[in-house]
Amino acid sequence: MTFLQPWVLVALPLVALPLIIHLINQRRFQTVRWAAMQFLLAAKALSRGYSRLRHWLIMALRMAAVAAVILAVGRPLSRGWLALAGGGRSDSAIVVLDRSPSMQAVAAAGGESKLDTGRRQLADSLATLRAGRVLVVSDPAKGPEEVSSPAALVELATAGPIAAAADLPALLQSAYDFIRENAAGTTEIWICSDQRANDWKPDDGAWGGIRDAFAKLPQQVRIQLLAYAAPAKGNVAVRAANVRLESLGRDRRLVVTVAVSRQDDGGRLTLPVKFEIGGISTAVDVELTGREAVLKNHVIPLERSAASRGWGRVSIPADADVADNEFFFAYDEPPPRRSLVVAEDPAAARVLELVAGIAPDKAATPVDLVPPGGLAAAAWNEAAALFWQGPLPEGRDAQLVQAFLDRGGQAVFFAPDRPTTAEFAGCSWTEWTALAKPIAAESWRTDQDLLANTMAGSALPLGDVEVRRSCGLAGELVPLASLPGGAALVARSSRAEGVTFVATTPAPRDSSLAAEGVVLYALAQRSIDRGLAVLGGARQADAGPTAAEIAKACGDWMRLAGDAGSPSTEVGLHAGVFSCGDRLVAVNRPAAEDTALAVADDRIDGLFRGLSFQRITGTAGDTDSLVQEIWRAFLIAMLLALVAEGLLSLPRAAAADRAAKTARPLEAAA
Amino acid sequence: MLTDRQPRSFLDPAVLARLAAVPLLARRPMVGTVSGRHASPHRGSSVEFAEYRKYVPGDDLRRLDWRAFGRSDRHYVKEYEADTNLRLCLVLDTSGSMEFTSGGVTKIEYARRICGALGYLASQQGDAVGITCVAGGIVRTLPPRRSPAHLRLVFDVLEEAKPAGPTRLPEVLHEIAETTRQRAVVVIVSDLFCEPEALATAFSHLRFRRHDVAAFHLLDPQELAFQFQRPTRFFDMEGGGAIFADPIDITDRYHAALEAYLNDLRRVVLESAVDYHRVVTDQPYEQVLARFLVGRAAGRGLR
Repeated sequence: MTFLQPWVLVALPLVALPLIIHLINQRRFQTVRWAAMQFLLAAKALSRGYSRLRHWLIMALRMAAVAAVILAVGRPLSRGWLALAGGGRSDSAIVVLDRSPSMQAVAAAGGESKLDTGRRQLADSLATLRAGRVLVVSDPAKGPEEVSSPAALVELATAGPIAAAADLPALLQSAYDFIRENAAGTTEIWICSDQRANDWKPDDGAWGGIRDAFAKLPQQVRIQLLAYAAPAKGNVAVRAANVRLESLGRDRRLVVTVAVSRQDDGGRLTLPVKFEIGGISTAVDVELTGREAVLKNHVIPLERSAASRGWGRVSIPADADVADNEFFFAYDEPPPRRSLVVAEDPAAARVLELVAGIAPDKAATPVDLVPPGGLAAAAWNEAAALFWQGPLPEGRDAQLVQAFLDRGGQAVFFAPDRPTTAEFAGCSWTEWTALAKPIAAESWRTDQDLLANTMAGSALPLGDVEVRRSCGLAGELVPLASLPGGAALVARSSRAEGVTFVATTPAPRDSSLAAEGVVLYALAQRSIDRGLAVLGGARQADAGPTAAEIAKACGDWMRLAGDAGSPSTEVGLHAGVFSCGDRLVAVNRPAAEDTALAVADDRIDGLFRGLSFQRITGTAGDTDSLVQEIWRAFLIAMLLALVAEGLLSLPRAAAADRAAKTARPLEAAA
Repeated sequence: MLTDRQPRSFLDPAVLARLAAVPLLARRPMVGTVSGRHASPHRGSSVEFAEYRKYVPGDDLRRLDWRAFGRSDRHYVKEYEADTNLRLCLVLDTSGSMEFTSGGVTKIEYARRICGALGYLASQQGDAVGITCVAGGIVRTLPPRRSPAHLRLVFDVLEEAKPAGPTRLPEVLHEIAETTRQRAVVVIVSDLFCEPEALATAFSHLRFRRHDVAAFHLLDPQELAFQFQRPTRFFDMEGGGAIFADPIDITDRYHAALEAYLNDLRRVVLESAVDYHRVVTDQPYEQVLARFLVGRAAGRGLR
């Protein structure tokens, strides 16, 4: 419980006053010569149970009344429905804001969003609590930002909604760094979030370190989670994918695949999906019966005079969460599907050259077969993907590959003939394992990444691929396909973006990847597609650090679409389109925002195990304050205690009167 | 007429003069030695007609009813009720508890006043007065006598009575019942701090011996109210141990025990036909005695 005047609690020992008076009275006894001893003896012999209980009840009620008065004078504060957790006035209050798109959900049409509700409730609460300093952590890259007063939290531009996911581990790490570096005193961390899994990343290994770091802090840190976990009812999200410009003679058209999805199973719903391209709007109805409906390869004809490069927006009518009701996209003439192949084994090189060189459409697909010694002369700037079979690059080669990856390129490494100790992207090859008989992959990720199911929902035939020899992998890996026994067949680096490892080679002696070419072909073409998304004149980017880095690297970016009121310092975090030189970058919320489920309460409790943690459940649009003064309740409690004490004391007096009345009459009884 | 010239602290002439207007009467016939104002079980020479009886030789011819002879030609003797004196046995409790007072008069002093006034009134109407002081046993006793000089001795005993020792009233009452051979009015002045059941047997014993038993139950106001503000160590005035008690803790149970005792005592005196008077020592003793005497006068005529 928190008190506005905690110094009054110094008087709490006065609670013992009734007890002390009782004890003093016990010591101040008088001596009386008494005649009617037989009644005293009889009284002593009578059952004392109720009398003693009443005696102690009266004592307890008196003490409770004194305690209630002291607590009321201390001006206690109630914190929502969990008011009994301990706490006092803190020196610093750090507000960790989850500004992700899902926090813009409202409980009722026209109501306040979760984020706005949280900011307002926190501002009210912190004003009531009179925290010493108020800081806001909304972007791990910037760290805590101090505000002049709690009320400023509501108007703070950098505390507004963004399209990027919130990285809660990074935000808390930022809060921890501030506490440690500034030697803040008693600190209260208020997390305002809707507990979405993609924001919290409960499986992230960083949580353990954060928990231990907070536990070791010398100062007291209380963590409060203001949770708005209730999902937005009836919310539908729209997303565009595979936006490509096609030319048919002099005519050009835009092909867009649109997906609308929702979290709950509602009834049949017909949604008007609106496209806006170059100021011209078109609409098409999409019928949603399950959780997701896909409008595949929707063709939008473009004017002949329209530029080959442009941007557009697809939207649906506003619902419970406006943040996922629109999606920006940019388009341009597709760049050549150039890729680089570096292989020490000619058999593998031939296969890789084939799968990289056959494009899914009629576009040109040049493949540069680069000898191991000629990396420096390769066309790195024009390539979308790199297929590497051989020892991991070291030295100058590693720098070239890393620069290629930093630019957005994709790299797929196949096992070398003779593994070395070289390490790249946090991973290294160990040694070959000769298998007695060919084996196939036991499991693989079908929901995302390079081995995901096709858009029609069919799984890649990875189970048909025979692996005759596999090479071990070590390091920071996320398995995408596993062999029997748990060894990784395909894995991506968790340290570096766009790096994938295949624990065998396409050579016939090692696997049937070449013979069962579908898997290898899909893997190669998907890698090239990913690389092309970065290389082209139009690029799609998830809102977040990546998009922010693009804008930062560009320098002279210009906002073309999106929220004009968003701060320029947060470019890349808001949905929209900005130009970067002669390139267009469309920034949207991450895909996980549309599907992420809330992390269970006990799971979050586990993340803060051992720390002073409290959860307060909130509702979007809730007008109640989190913290309220409850001194009236204590005064009422005091009155009740006194009334109860009086009632308990009354029967004794009534009995005395009755006894006196029965004994006083003068009339003869006989 | 005061036969005692020595002033007694417990006698108030004004009170005695007012009380003398009401005679002290017994509730049942008394067997006295001389003629008095109390009903006797025997035939006598009072003016109150009793019955006719056939004349037998030897009867006094003056008592022959000639009118009856004239009407019936038979000889009848007219008999009248006899009036006699009574024996007033005062039983004064001199146990230690009688010394208690909460600020006013002590119970022993109150008892002296009652005994002194009753003794004087009885003596004035020619009745014999005796006194027995009881505590752990009979402390002192004077048998009932009619002489004024004996009344002085009774007053001396009253004056010299010192409260001390425990109460063994029931045992003493049994002894009095056995030793008092003739019918008497036994007036017990005590706080009756003993078991009601033990008193019941003693009262029944006295009643069996045809004694008219009256009891003045003296109680101090504080003994009824039990109003203490602080924890108190109670020392037994009759030589028992001490009890430490917090009034907050024990008052209700004290009252419960007192109420139970008084209810039991009320039942006992009703069953034993005892002329019971509960007296709180802050009441005027004149009022108490007047009520006692008037109540007895209203019941005159029983033989």
